[in-house]
Amino acid sequence: MKEEGNLENRPSNTAFTQQRLPAWQPMLSAGVVIPGFLVIGLAFIGIGVGLLITSRSIQVLELDYTGTETNSPCNKCTTLPIQNNCVCKLNFTIDTLFKGPVFFYYSLTNYFQSQRKYGASLDYNQLSGDLTYFKSPASDCDPYRYANGKPIVPCGSLANSMFNDTFKLYQIVNGKENLVPFDGKGIAWWTDYNIKYRNPDYSPLENAFNDTEKPVFWSKPAYKLDTSDSSNNGFVNQDFLVWMRRAALPNFRKLYRRITEGDYKDGLPVGNYSLEISYNYPVKSFDGTKKATFSNVSWMGGQNEFLGIAYLAIGSMCVVMSVVMLIVYAKFRFPEDD
Amino acid sequence: MVTEDSPSGFTWEVRANSPNYHRARQKKSFLCFQWGRYAGNAVHSHKYSPLSFLPLTLFEQFHRAANLYFLLMVVLQCVPPISSIPWYITMIPLLVVLSVRASKDLANDMARRRCDAEVNSRRCDVLLSHRFGATQWKDLCVGDILRICKDQVIPADLLLLCSSEPHSLCYVETADIDGETNLKFRQALAATHSHLGSCPSEGALAAFDGVVQCEEPNDRLYVFRGHLLWRGECHHLENEHVLLRGTVLRNTDRAYGLVVYSGGADGVFCVAGADSKIMRNCGKMKLKRARTEQVLNRVVIGIVLCLLLAALLLAVGSGVFSGVVMREAGPLSALVFNGDPAYTAFLVYWSYIILLSPAMPIALYITFEVIHSVHSRFIGWDLELYWQPGDRPAQARNTSLNEELGQVGYLLSDKTGTLTQNRLLFRQCCIAGEIYGDASVRAEDVEPMDLSWNPFSRGGLHMSAPSLVEKLRGRRCPASRRFFRALALCHTVMAEWKDDSPVYQAASPDEEALVGAARELGWVFLRRSRDCVVVSELGVSRQYQLLALLDFSSRRRRMSVLVREPGGALKLYCKGADIVILERLQRNAAHLDRTERALQVFSVACLRTLCVAVRSVPEALWEQWRETLDLVAAMATAERDAQLEQLYDEMERDLQLLGVTAIEDRLQDGVPETICLLRRAGIKVWVLTGDKKETAINIGYSCELLDPDARLLDWQDVRQMLQSPDPQVGFLKAGQTALWAAGREDAPAQLSLVLTGPELAEFEQRPEWGGPFMSLARQCQAVLCCRVTPAQKAEIVKLVRKHTNAITMSIGDGANDVNMIKTAHIGVGVAGVEGGQAVQNADFGLSQFRFLQRLLLVHGRWSYRRISFFLRYFLFKTCSFALVHVWFGCFNGFSSQSLYETWFIALYTVLYSAAPVMCLAVFEQDVSAEASLRQPELYGGGQQQQLSGPRQLGLCLLHAVYTSLVFFFVPFGVFNNTAYDYQTMALTVAMAATFTASAEIVLLTKYWTRFSVAAVCVSVGMFFICSRITHSGRLFQRSPSDYYFLGVSEVAFADPVVWLTALLAAWTAVLPSFSAHAFSAVLMAPDHHKVHSSAPQTAEMSSTFRRRSTMRRSSYAVSQGEGPGRIITSAVSTRNARTSKPTEAPSAAGRTMPHERHL
Repeated sequence: MKEEGNLENRPSNTAFTQQRLPAWQPMLSAGVVIPGFLVIGLAFIGIGVGLLITSRSIQVLELDYTGTETNSPCNKCTTLPIQNNCVCKLNFTIDTLFKGPVFFYYSLTNYFQSQRKYGASLDYNQLSGDLTYFKSPASDCDPYRYANGKPIVPCGSLANSMFNDTFKLYQIVNGKENLVPFDGKGIAWWTDYNIKYRNPDYSPLENAFNDTEKPVFWSKPAYKLDTSDSSNNGFVNQDFLVWMRRAALPNFRKLYRRITEGDYKDGLPVGNYSLEISYNYPVKSFDGTKKATFSNVSWMGGQNEFLGIAYLAIGSMCVVMSVVMLIVYAKFRFPEDD
Repeated sequence: MVTEDSPSGFTWEVRANSPNYHRARQKKSFLCFQWGRYAGNAVHSHKYSPLSFLPLTLFEQFHRAANLYFLLMVVLQCVPPISSIPWYITMIPLLVVLSVRASKDLANDMARRRCDAEVNSRRCDVLLSHRFGATQWKDLCVGDILRICKDQVIPADLLLLCSSEPHSLCYVETADIDGETNLKFRQALAATHSHLGSCPSEGALAAFDGVVQCEEPNDRLYVFRGHLLWRGECHHLENEHVLLRGTVLRNTDRAYGLVVYSGGADGVFCVAGADSKIMRNCGKMKLKRARTEQVLNRVVIGIVLCLLLAALLLAVGSGVFSGVVMREAGPLSALVFNGDPAYTAFLVYWSYIILLSPAMPIALYITFEVIHSVHSRFIGWDLELYWQPGDRPAQARNTSLNEELGQVGYLLSDKTGTLTQNRLLFRQCCIAGEIYGDASVRAEDVEPMDLSWNPFSRGGLHMSAPSLVEKLRGRRCPASRRFFRALALCHTVMAEWKDDSPVYQAASPDEEALVGAARELGWVFLRRSRDCVVVSELGVSRQYQLLALLDFSSRRRRMSVLVREPGGALKLYCKGADIVILERLQRNAAHLDRTERALQVFSVACLRTLCVAVRSVPEALWEQWRETLDLVAAMATAERDAQLEQLYDEMERDLQLLGVTAIEDRLQDGVPETICLLRRAGIKVWVLTGDKKETAINIGYSCELLDPDARLLDWQDVRQMLQSPDPQVGFLKAGQTALWAAGREDAPAQLSLVLTGPELAEFEQRPEWGGPFMSLARQCQAVLCCRVTPAQKAEIVKLVRKHTNAITMSIGDGANDVNMIKTAHIGVGVAGVEGGQAVQNADFGLSQFRFLQRLLLVHGRWSYRRISFFLRYFLFKTCSFALVHVWFGCFNGFSSQSLYETWFIALYTVLYSAAPVMCLAVFEQDVSAEASLRQPELYGGGQQQQLSGPRQLGLCLLHAVYTSLVFFFVPFGVFNNTAYDYQTMALTVAMAATFTASAEIVLLTKYWTRFSVAAVCVSVGMFFICSRITHSGRLFQRSPSDYYFLGVSEVAFADPVVWLTALLAAWTAVLPSFSAHAFSAVLMAPDHHKVHSSAPQTAEMSSTFRRRSTMRRSSYAVSQGEGPGRIITSAVSTRNARTSKPTEAPSAAGRTMPHERHL
């Protein structure tokens, strides 16, 4: 027998070593579970209803201008070669006031912007204005890295395939076409045109692009993307930035312009409109479609039926579950209590 | 030459005092190449040198399939065309895992190195050029002559040349080798003794030029064969001439020895380095793996195969897709510019393997290990498992079996020392037909006799028999005097003098009890030398010449000494099992009837009995017998043992019965309660013992293993059932018979099996009986196996393992249990009287049998739950996270595009979801320790694998697949045909995954410590913080291609749709598990809540632990194995078969006995 003071191997008596840490031990019971499910279900239903109402209040106008149908005004452009600046006009009527601000999107379907090789085919260093990468773009850009022996700037598939249809909207008032002003500012992310994409410090910008080649698919070089606003050129061109922010899914829309100015600040009034499209972008090869979309927005962005319906469905499921649990509980418990 | 076979077949040659001869042939090694013959004496148990550390540790670590797999992933990620995520995402965790393991190994190795250095630098005296000088152990060489002083550890295997004691005897303690704490003696050859030992001068020793020829180094500790060639004579050498490395010299001032086998051990890869027997014996322990780990491995392999299949399908899709796109020119066709679809598919296949590899996360195995070691620490830290009298906490020696403790189905227990204390008390004796002492009084309550007349009395005799003392002191009863003389002479106990009284060192506690009792009553064994024993008989010191010692063996079950009394008469004193002694008595022995009755009385009181007898040997017989003995002893053949046995048998005849001793073997504290509790927990308790059947049954009743109402089935019954075409029918019949016999229709049939070793041997011939036998045994309350050898114990464990898929646990305390401890899934060693060998070989070491309840019901159960939850959660978490890519693949052209930011992949398992599950795996308690012990039925969940079974794991994986679908398709529904970009969607899915991981852990955690709460909060917080950091402009500017998610979190965290989508996805994902928990809460029987209530169920407890008697004793059979050489242990009592009748324990009246069959 050893003395009390001589117990070298005695374990220490702490809450941790003796596994007696103070703890809260909640017990799931019918009294918690059934009301819990009911409350969560009702909350989800509430959110769902709110979302659905909001979503229904949003006006959306989608105009397919792919031109696959023979009666479509753009049908003629699908048969022509791509370079052949084809212009087609879509006429449409707005019956009720399209509340502003109205956002104008172009939509593509069956277009795999999320393809890995496609999405990775760019050079962030080049796009952030580093001139060394103007001369030798990253190998990721293949096969759009060099053309005619000169480096392509901006290189890569993603930039090369930039959407190049342009749109003009006219309101037809008494047979006259009134141009609806489009606002192309601020449609890209602030971080994109301030940090992520930078033009090289060159003025004029054009000189930075000496000894480089424009992307194969492009009709004009990067420094001439916007002829009307010199600051909207190069890599910080808003349309370019919108395009470069890849879509996750094959069906997507991208913001083209906002209608926020002049007479159309409060929306598109009732009337006949004509959308003039310069049809450049081929989609027939991959069975895609192109749409022009007008939409106004709410706190939850654009129209989104799915979210509201999903919330409603899951919420109702929870409510049903709590009712079933209540029945089971009653059946199971009360015979015992008798 | 040494390599040549000498005529005797001994190939190992050692020349004394010729260091040059041996040093030239010393073993050397470089890397794994070795040459040379004689090992050095330095111990190198460390594995690494500064140069070899890195390659060796990497080599070892990449032996593990998992590490290799991850290395492959890293290599794949470095190949640019297929790298779907950057290489560092896997490389960093892999490096962490490797370096954690490597530093652990390094720390262990440093500890070993320090330990080696300490051993190697120990000093001993070596004869160098005619003088003894101190040398370090590591510099010893074969052929050196050493001087060992008292209490020194012997540095190598030595041939004893001479010692300072008469006849060159010396005593060694072998505790380090076999765990036995008794002293053993070794003796030098007469030749070396007479020439060197008379005055051990350095000159004489330096001139010694003998040559030892012996066996090659081997691992047989108790065998040494060889001869010494010296001065033209050949002397036969045996084990008793050898001092083994690691033993300690005791009771001897000096011993001189020649190094025969040097003891060093070289590193791990060149194991052959060690020559000494002890080093040859420390073989590697077979590593046991937990079943959960095997299941886990299988699941992981399954997951990997599924991933390979998924990757294959996706790759096919990719080939088709690129083929379709390539047909036409267009903006996307550039992707397969000059590739061909098959090649693209091939690349994408590897890319997908990389992308899906997080489903089998690298962190799993390392976390698994950490959790195991924490659980093991908890066992060592538990104060309730700490045994204060011995200052011994519980030990978890194997840190990978914790969860198995929660699944034990079969407990196979040793009896002696495990169920019983192995503290033997001399309680009664029967001399000349008269019984002295009363066993019905508790040992503690025995009134101590007045033994003040005896100066050697040290107390500790729990027997009150004043009449006996009176008779002894009054010298009235010669029979009782001879009885105690026999006890004082016939044994192998060593006496060590401390404070003027002898302290006895015995191989078995029985002998110690007997010699101690004789000492208390006046016959004091004072000392022994090789050929005499000195005994003080009531104060008169008498010297008996020891002529022969007839060894104990478990076959003979007796031992004898042949002595010449001071008066000149020759006497043979013999003690042994009653069955062997009684049949060797003279005809018409006196008091035989009364002695047999006494034997029965002792047996009923569960005492171990031993018969003591004497024989007067005629001088002529002795002379003749001695000649034969010398002849036989000189033989070096295998028949020698048989011939010796026959010779001994001739001498042990015509005995005169002196009396019977009765020793009590006490049960350990809390044994009945523990067995009862474990049985309520659904654990089948089997007792495997070397004892005889009757004793085993008695102890079965006293420790509540056998129910009084239970019917005992013996081998005959079992064989009948096994031979019948349908064993179950026979079994049911037997059960009904038992019911009918008990006259109680309501009680379930209680059956117990009682088998003996020889009967079990039949299984070896009939292996096909194993299955039916186990199905019978499964329905029995208890199984008792008596008379089993250590090997049979292991065979029984194997039988159980083979025919059930339950976890088996063996518990034992002695060297004879080592085999079964190693064979069972879990081996528990009780640190008891019998030395540490069982604990050394066990996975868990306990001090008391009763600690088993806490080890199994509390620690085991908790560990099982924690680890099961941990594994399920981990697999769920990682699979649901990685499988999203399969669904996303259908919408990105099967291009192995990741849906997550690479940093999220890297940090998700490490930062965002690791801490809460670690807390769960460390702190989780569904019920408190007290409740677990109060409700042992809760243990059943582990036995049935309710939490970790294939069904559970399958459901968990199914849930993971469902969750991954939700993770993808809910955001898909929301973001389809909208202006939301890929990066926002990636962040939304990541958010949903983080929320789901946290919600699941919240659901699983039932025990919220402050750490658990903090872990959950910090994990979720970390997700937001780290996202903001990795999406920050500063990092982007530093490395644009690594941090290209710039600004996403800023936009996304401000967008209500992102939040609503993530919440919806998370809730939908956890809905099945929440509903399942909710339904089980609703369906839970109201009384389940009682488990958590703290009110002790006193009524139930008292009814369960009904004590049959206040006295719990055990009966006895062989407790020790055969000792080496002349180490003798107590013998056995078995009642003569003629007199054997069904015996009933006093308190267990009315039960059905095996022989009263009601068929």
